[in-house]
Amino acid sequence: MIDFVQNTVDGMMFGSSYALLAIGFTIIFGVMRRINLSFGATIMLGAYIGTWLHVHHQVSVWVVALTTLASTVLVGIYVERLCFHAIRRSAVLASMVSSFVIWMQLEEAAIHLLPERTYAFPALLAADSFEIGPFLFRAEQTSMLVLAMIMVGVLHVLLYRTRFGLALRAVSESSLAAAYMGINAAWVTLCAFALVSLMGGVAGYAILSTDAQITPFFGLWATFKGLIAMMLGGMGSLPGAILGGLLLGVVEAHALWYLGNEYKDLSAYLLLFGMLVLRPGGLMGQRILSREALAFRRV
Amino acid sequence: MDDYVITVLSNIGMISFIALSAYLLLLTGEISFGQQAYFGLSAYAAGAATAMFQMPIWAGILVGACAAGIIAMVVGALTLQLSGLYFSVATLAFAEMARLILLIVEIQVEVDGEMVGPEGANGFHGIRWMFERDISLTEFMLLIYGLLALTVICLLLVERSRLGSVLRMLGSDDLLAEMQGLNTVRYRILAVGAAGVIAGVGGALYAHFTTYVEPQFFNVMLGVHALAYGLIGGLGTAFGPLIGVAIDVGFLEAIRFIQGYRMIVFGGLVAILLIFMPRGILDEERVHRLKAVFSRRNHARA
Repeated sequence: MIDFVQNTVDGMMFGSSYALLAIGFTIIFGVMRRINLSFGATIMLGAYIGTWLHVHHQVSVWVVALTTLASTVLVGIYVERLCFHAIRRSAVLASMVSSFVIWMQLEEAAIHLLPERTYAFPALLAADSFEIGPFLFRAEQTSMLVLAMIMVGVLHVLLYRTRFGLALRAVSESSLAAAYMGINAAWVTLCAFALVSLMGGVAGYAILSTDAQITPFFGLWATFKGLIAMMLGGMGSLPGAILGGLLLGVVEAHALWYLGNEYKDLSAYLLLFGMLVLRPGGLMGQRILSREALAFRRV
Repeated sequence: MDDYVITVLSNIGMISFIALSAYLLLLTGEISFGQQAYFGLSAYAAGAATAMFQMPIWAGILVGACAAGIIAMVVGALTLQLSGLYFSVATLAFAEMARLILLIVEIQVEVDGEMVGPEGANGFHGIRWMFERDISLTEFMLLIYGLLALTVICLLLVERSRLGSVLRMLGSDDLLAEMQGLNTVRYRILAVGAAGVIAGVGGALYAHFTTYVEPQFFNVMLGVHALAYGLIGGLGTAFGPLIGVAIDVGFLEAIRFIQGYRMIVFGGLVAILLIFMPRGILDEERVHRLKAVFSRRNHARA
């Protein structure tokens, strides 16, 4: 029983990093209705630039953190200009494939920057683990969960209480109608991408400093874990992103403990496939529109 | 031709199958991140048929393609309700599940005093049909291109027929298609199954060409590349994905001298190409115009 609870706690701790990634995804996919496959690679290149400064110029930890955030935003803007702004809005598929080839490009650029397999990643704050009763908590991971909740809170206010949020939601509903209302859709989209990249940079920094290392696999890992967590929680739902991340973490932790390492990822994909077949909208998302409702809307 | 050129050409041919498979689904408007699963499952099934049960190659390809088609139809039936990103992620989840299961499966039988069969993460070694029968690389390449030509001809015939129009109609507006009285469920499962079969043929050939397969080859990168091929080459005709594969594999081989910067150059070029041609080089409009030019020339001659 103690094992079970401790596993659940561990899973939630890992899940908090998935939740952090899922927040960025849920804005791009859910609110903007675009598929940006290079999100993970964007964060990775940003973090690599920060690490490069740390390795070659021995700058302080704060400079690494700020460089990571700033370069993630810049790379995010580059992706937006090349893959989303330049390609017309109706060509969703072209944007997706374009963001995929740019993923490969960013990954290669990162590997050129730091060619070895792993590099130490400096942590901003060091903290010890603590115990509550018989259970062990890791301080960094607990703070990640708190960070995810703060980010969701800030985003919620930004999306539902400010003019920028209103404009963003209007553009995601219909960019043509938004343009008639005097909203500069291109500018709003660019700002949203910069914002999402900033969130991704924060998430990436928190995760990497917990792991204390960075490898070239981070891009792929971040993209998939974020994507799965978002789909489990429900596309477009901010609380869902946290819930989905935690659920993914807990299921993986139990599968690892009871079944073994090779079943960890398998259980995650099985959960995702089952969720999509049985309840496509995820835990907190809106139910996807049934065909009748779609037909009615068109009439 | 030396072995290197033959190997590159054979790779282009085998990868073309998975590109065509993704292309067929793109016609019906669905983006699948999971066609590599059928490629991989078929490679295992076909390899098992010839290496473990001593079947001839045609039976191996048939077993692989049928297995892939049936599994694809089951997945298609389960994901009928899903579209757009939901369908893409569901296919991705299935493909990763299939790959991770293949990493666990260990079934081996004794053939001529040697253990043969899938061996978990070590892959499936000893699919030696080509060596046992003394088939040269050139002969096998001809088999690949023969089957590829057959597949392309079938796809071109389908596109000229009513079925082709129905599939494109599903792609542009499935609600409207249903209101025309078309059984969209049946057509969708048909398309998903046929796409599985096409990927399966490629996978079966791949297993016999390389003599061993490992689950790691069938990762999501292969599936996303397959999608990209159709989009680079063009969604207007079945030749589009072939052009995409030739550009990718051929181009990357040609620019070997800038080793290490290949993806930076290639990625940038493709991104720029997609800005000017969002539906690929041979998109519907250009195919239509080309056809008009050709038919005019034929008329002039007659």
